[in-house]
Amino acid sequence: MVDLIKRAKELIESSSVKVVIGYEQGTGNKTRALFVENSEDADKLIFDSRCIQNLAAYITKKEIKEKGKMAVAATLPVMRSIIQLASEFQVTDANILVLGITPESKLIEFGNLAEVEKFVHQYEIEIDVRNKEMLDKLEKMTQPERWQFWIDELAPCFKCYACRAACPMCYCSRCTVDFNQPQWIPVPSTELGNLEWHIMRAIHLTGRCIDCDACYNACPLSIPINLLTKRMLLDAKEHFGGYQPALKGEHLMSTYKPDDKENFIQ
Amino acid sequence: MSKIGVFVCHCGENISATVDCAKVAETAGNWDGVTFSVDYKYMCSDPGQSLIKNAITEKGLTGVVVASCSPRMHEPTFRKACAEAGLNPFMCEMANLREHCSWVHEKGEATTEKAIDLVRILVEKVKYNHELTSIKVPVTKTALVIGGGIAGIQASLDIANTGHKVILIEKDPSIGGHMSQLSETFPTLDCSQCILTPRMVEVAQHPNITLYTYAELESLEGFIGNFKAKIRKKSKSIDEKLCTGCAQCTTKCPVKKIPSEFNEGLGKRTAIYVPFPQAVPNKPVIDRKNCTYYIKGKCKVCEIVCPTGAIRFDQEDQIVEVEIGAIVIATGFTVKQPDFFPEYGYGKHADVITGLQFERLASASGPTLGEIRRPSDGKVPEKIVFLACAGSRDPAKGIPYCSKICCMYIAKHAMLYQHKVHGGKSYVFYMDIRAGGKQYEEFVRRAIEDDGVNYIRGRVSKIYEKNGKLIVSGVDTLLNAMPVEIEADMVVLATAGVANEGAEELAQKLHISYDPYKFFAEAHPKLKPVETNTAGIFLAGACQAPRDIPESVAMASGAAVKVAGLFSKDELTREPIIAVVNRQAPPVYSSCVGCFLCVSACPYQAIEKEEIKNRNGEVIKSVAKVNPGLCQGCGTCVAFCRTKSIDIQGYTHEQMYTEVMALLNEY
Amino acid sequence: MAEFEPKIVAFVCNWCTYAGADLTGTSRIKYASNVRIIRFPCTGRIDYMLLLKAFDEGADGIIVSGCHPNDCHYTSGNFHARRRWIMFRSLCNFTGIDTNRIKFSWVSAAEGAKWADIVNATVKSIRELGPYTEYKKVAKYPEKEVNHG
Repeated sequence: MVDLIKRAKELIESSSVKVVIGYEQGTGNKTRALFVENSEDADKLIFDSRCIQNLAAYITKKEIKEKGKMAVAATLPVMRSIIQLASEFQVTDANILVLGITPESKLIEFGNLAEVEKFVHQYEIEIDVRNKEMLDKLEKMTQPERWQFWIDELAPCFKCYACRAACPMCYCSRCTVDFNQPQWIPVPSTELGNLEWHIMRAIHLTGRCIDCDACYNACPLSIPINLLTKRMLLDAKEHFGGYQPALKGEHLMSTYKPDDKENFIQ
Repeated sequence: MSKIGVFVCHCGENISATVDCAKVAETAGNWDGVTFSVDYKYMCSDPGQSLIKNAITEKGLTGVVVASCSPRMHEPTFRKACAEAGLNPFMCEMANLREHCSWVHEKGEATTEKAIDLVRILVEKVKYNHELTSIKVPVTKTALVIGGGIAGIQASLDIANTGHKVILIEKDPSIGGHMSQLSETFPTLDCSQCILTPRMVEVAQHPNITLYTYAELESLEGFIGNFKAKIRKKSKSIDEKLCTGCAQCTTKCPVKKIPSEFNEGLGKRTAIYVPFPQAVPNKPVIDRKNCTYYIKGKCKVCEIVCPTGAIRFDQEDQIVEVEIGAIVIATGFTVKQPDFFPEYGYGKHADVITGLQFERLASASGPTLGEIRRPSDGKVPEKIVFLACAGSRDPAKGIPYCSKICCMYIAKHAMLYQHKVHGGKSYVFYMDIRAGGKQYEEFVRRAIEDDGVNYIRGRVSKIYEKNGKLIVSGVDTLLNAMPVEIEADMVVLATAGVANEGAEELAQKLHISYDPYKFFAEAHPKLKPVETNTAGIFLAGACQAPRDIPESVAMASGAAVKVAGLFSKDELTREPIIAVVNRQAPPVYSSCVGCFLCVSACPYQAIEKEEIKNRNGEVIKSVAKVNPGLCQGCGTCVAFCRTKSIDIQGYTHEQMYTEVMALLNEY
Repeated sequence: MAEFEPKIVAFVCNWCTYAGADLTGTSRIKYASNVRIIRFPCTGRIDYMLLLKAFDEGADGIIVSGCHPNDCHYTSGNFHARRRWIMFRSLCNFTGIDTNRIKFSWVSAAEGAKWADIVNATVKSIRELGPYTEYKKVAKYPEKEVNHG
């Protein structure tokens, strides 16, 4: 991405931003996050289809924020995350510049977050076919089969929290899983504790998850935990008409409609 | 280490008949942390309470569990007893052995076991209770009354007469409300204006009342004792200080054909107008929608004729901010218009009118100076039909309730008609005659027996025009549903009384609830008829449900007493069952990450942003903060917060978690 | 073998269902004794994690109940709760937690008889479903034996 490198250099040289967050070549065939703080480093910036890590996970990190204003090479999911984070008061125009990368791999520099919001709203959040099939498959199982599926899938989870670290929405300084008065989730990984942890995570992401799959991609055991949030995404759509991250507006789960429909409350 | 006392009450035999109280006490005595346990016949009696108090002092109890009736019954009693013995009252919990156990289950081991479980839950909970102190909030001793009809007038005067300040706001140019439109009032037939106008004047002259007419509530913040209201004073386009009310402008205004709201469209008014001659204040306003100057930019006749130069075309709406301690809502009601009724011609027959329009026809100050003349051609109707329940008691029309006042005013209307039109014939179609009230039934009988009004029990299916007559087609159910057709000259519909347009919006501004018909909801249908669920906000009159004048006045006085009671103290005491956002030592300060999603989850807008600053005044962190005055303690934010940074006193995470654990570990 | 007696925990709000259950008592309407009520200020306060913890600790069934829509003492706590329940219930269902074991209901302070009906119906249906062995099987985590005090 020549444009990106050029722009990153300009931004750093003119001190418009202190750091540019993008991707570089990692080990093997993998890419990893790059934090450009001087113009020579900008040459390492790359962008291709392997760049799927959600860089928005870094923008709430204390170490990055302390550097000053940042620019982020942002794909659509990253842009969505940024808007969601902005709606949660975690980032403002004053501390971020979005270097958008369109689904067609074009670079667009946005003047402010409102422009980013306008851009992302052109695209609906949609679940890909492969995952949709998986969701359907689970839907068709009986309740005990689904139970067994998840107990088996989650059994190997050893709570490395890579999913949490990769998720831009998991920026809480104290995660409930680390809470010990009371101890909501058992410390060692147990079958039930693992399930509780992932249920809790899915609930916390309901109405906030933008379906970037960063959690799944980060999981060393490739446990399909993203199915949980995808299910919530579908439910949000089915019950409440869905959501898009928005700078101003009501958050799906902290609001309600008096005529919200359900069919199970007696 | 906890030292908990367990006090098991027999409630005479109410509990002990099915629960082995001695066994409950004995079992509880063996639990960790329980230093004293006893069962007793009547724990709420003086000796029972002494038992608790003595145990607190002698055993040095740190927590008390009273296992007796519902806490909704006696929690205050036992908390007070604990406080008297020097134990913080919030260290006392109650296990509900009576309503939730002994009264609903048969005698047996299972019932006693359940009782033991219920006690254990609370014993474990109380170990995590914290000493709490009641919250004291100051009271601003000024009331806001919204709506200047009879209910608002009465409430204002009653509050003002107790020596407290009142701000009365009215959306129209004059106070008086619907009552000022009425001709005579049932069941005495005294003239409405004659009894109302002195009250209106009293309001205007009362030293404790500030009156804002042509004004509406813009927004409300705060909580009982400490509200802040913004009032929008709509521009009247005149300088009220200069205006003497000489009426030069209203006489000379060239726009004269605007349907008069006060006369329910049966009379006309000018663009600069005083709604009616006895208006308070008796000063005009310019109706900008109809004024030639505002439409075309030319005219200014009023400015030319005004002897004091009081016209202000460029006047803007003014926002007044006031601090108040209590609010009385008296915004009244409205009636359905004939266009709501397809079967009665959707309002296309000029001589099918509403009851309120009839009031104007019958009123000496009305468009016909009190003569009953029909709108279409001004003829005196020789036959007149009154329809009760036009819309009311009709679930198909979405108004299943009874509008309550119609039966009485129809009798009055028919009576007035008979008094004014000698030889005229009047008919009333009704479903039931609901004349419950002092002198009400006698009044209806007088209409029927002395004045010869024809009452027909049945409904009208349609009204249509034929040869200049209105054909009213219905049935008489007392004559085997025999069809009845009356060729009438005029028809008066007792159209349903409904909530004001904008009632819902106002309720949302005030954070009060309303019923499916948009009438404001009282806190309790029987025991708290003038309170709302929002502390410090009270209801008077027909904004709560259709009400007649005596009821509205009674409610208004009731609401006024509630306000006066609130203002009788300098401080309010509130239970400290409120949410709190945690605070920790630097550099963390709080586990709150400042996403502020809780802000919109809070029904009371009690959550604010707090900026934590360092010594140099730089903001290090923004975190949520609960305003203890606003928080009502529902805990909606608590269950919502991802980081569990908010907790609610009395129902903390630890307490609730412990209850679940304690219950199931042994259960 | 004696009939299976399910353990049922009820999470209820203080203003409607708790008061409704009080009325059941005052009206002396009898119902199954398997239920234990835990009082919350509002359904809005009921943490979904507590529901999981109840199963965790051996509950066979759960009742969650509060004020009818528009009746909430706090105006909207139950509306918030309802939205959360919709999502939580779906997630439970998706993860294979038996949602037949969680009964959600609105019981007002005036519905003493309804409370008795809800409890009886829940006890009956849980009795038919049997103990929640599926959950109990995985619920045994190591420190539980040690952590007793």
